[in-house]
Amino acid sequence: METLLIVVLVIALALFFDFTNGFHDTANAMATPIATGALRPKVAVTIAAILNLVGAFLSTEVARTISGGIIKEGDGGVLITPELIFAGLIGAIVWNMVTWLLGLPSSSSHALFGGLIGSALVGFGVQAIDFSVVLSKIVLPAVLAPLTAGVVAYTATKLAYSITRRYDGKPDGRDGFRHGQIFSSSLVALAHGTNDAQKTMGVITLTLISVGLQPAGSGPEFWVIVVCAIAIALGTYMGGWRIIKTLGTGLTDVKPAQGFAAETSTAATILASTHLGFALSTTQVASGSVVGSGLGRRGSKVRWRTAGRIGVGWLLTLPAAGAVGALAALVAQLGVVGIIIDTIAGVVVIATIFLWSRRSEVSSQNVVSEVADSGSAVKIKRNPKPKKQVTR
Amino acid sequence: MIDWAAFVVVFIAAFLGATVIVSTYALGIRLLTISGRTPIVTPAEFTDAITVITPAEAKAAAKKAAKAAKKSPLTDGQKRAAYVGAWTCFVLSALSVIVGIFLIVPALHRFIGIA
Repeated sequence: METLLIVVLVIALALFFDFTNGFHDTANAMATPIATGALRPKVAVTIAAILNLVGAFLSTEVARTISGGIIKEGDGGVLITPELIFAGLIGAIVWNMVTWLLGLPSSSSHALFGGLIGSALVGFGVQAIDFSVVLSKIVLPAVLAPLTAGVVAYTATKLAYSITRRYDGKPDGRDGFRHGQIFSSSLVALAHGTNDAQKTMGVITLTLISVGLQPAGSGPEFWVIVVCAIAIALGTYMGGWRIIKTLGTGLTDVKPAQGFAAETSTAATILASTHLGFALSTTQVASGSVVGSGLGRRGSKVRWRTAGRIGVGWLLTLPAAGAVGALAALVAQLGVVGIIIDTIAGVVVIATIFLWSRRSEVSSQNVVSEVADSGSAVKIKRNPKPKKQVTR
Repeated sequence: MIDWAAFVVVFIAAFLGATVIVSTYALGIRLLTISGRTPIVTPAEFTDAITVITPAEAKAAAKKAAKAAKKSPLTDGQKRAAYVGAWTCFVLSALSVIVGIFLIVPALHRFIGIA
């Protein structure tokens, strides 16, 4: 009975995490098309929610990485308990909420991994973690995926501009990229659903495996996919309303051609990674694309200070969420009392931050998106004069 | 054991996917402009986020585009060819998206029996 109760608690918490993820990340997909006027805000948010829902059904590779890879379970490994998963989730959610409140760039995905790893370390020690999986499926993708997205977006932006460039001063038709953005941003929303919803599926599956309701190494059950899809879609939709309200602050100057190139690169990178089971942070990939595409425009420079601040925020997430997760795990090991303390602490943090956010004290710092924020890491000259074409 | 090849695969797939989609779309826009139908897209809503064109500016842009189209040295046939080419490009762009999604969703493979 006690086990069942904690399983239900973990699933509820995981779904809440999924919801906040969607809530937090709508901006990643939809801030640019809204900013360039490609889509009406209401339409953009609705599309994002629907495509997140659809995306969640497309793949289960990432979920398998989380449920079967990071923590050694089954024969020869440790038996992770739902209590520890619970502690990990608390760590992830608390760290997420804190960074969101402080306006620190972070990644909800890395918070999740950090929390889980931290609590498993406390529960079983170093041998519980499969560090080669952590390195090859989480840490390295975290570094390489934004770089990939950046390089791809740089090239794509250069291409988009050079193909449409006209030296005779006649209209170049780059407005047409606004139509393209409708599709490219939809792709980003789809990619977000495929990668991020799966992280929650992975956690729930891991819980079900830990109490023996599912064999070790199996993929997520269909009902798990459905509830995760719904949670992330709902979160996306709700999150959108806040963005609409606060749009207009902190967004960098993104031109339709650039936005189209950046979004296509983001979607391509996330989808390709998802297919290989890399659990990466969609926020970081999208940020990489925004910076890359900014550099692809003529007369742009990197503001290294801003870029550095963002980078440090990313680096901090995994260990910090790990620390919170570990702390929560220490408390959880006290037994039922510990779980109750954890739950109360979690609820208090969430409620405080929810109330805080209701004070309509929203600024670009805590709401719009880290992606838009990372755009400010590139300084772009306004309308540089076209270079003279080399005449034959 | 780190599977470095997987990262190379991701890079190549993302690079090819994005560049093909963006290039074909951009080429479509270029051809559309050549055919004398420069796309002027007024923003769906005026946000205060960044500089977007106002209706008056859109009108001026349309006028300029029409003027440029009138002065085009191309024959009607060439313009028509460019227009058809433009749409071919847009369709190719859309097709590459669909193929890309198809490749990564195993559930879709059953439909053509390559499971």
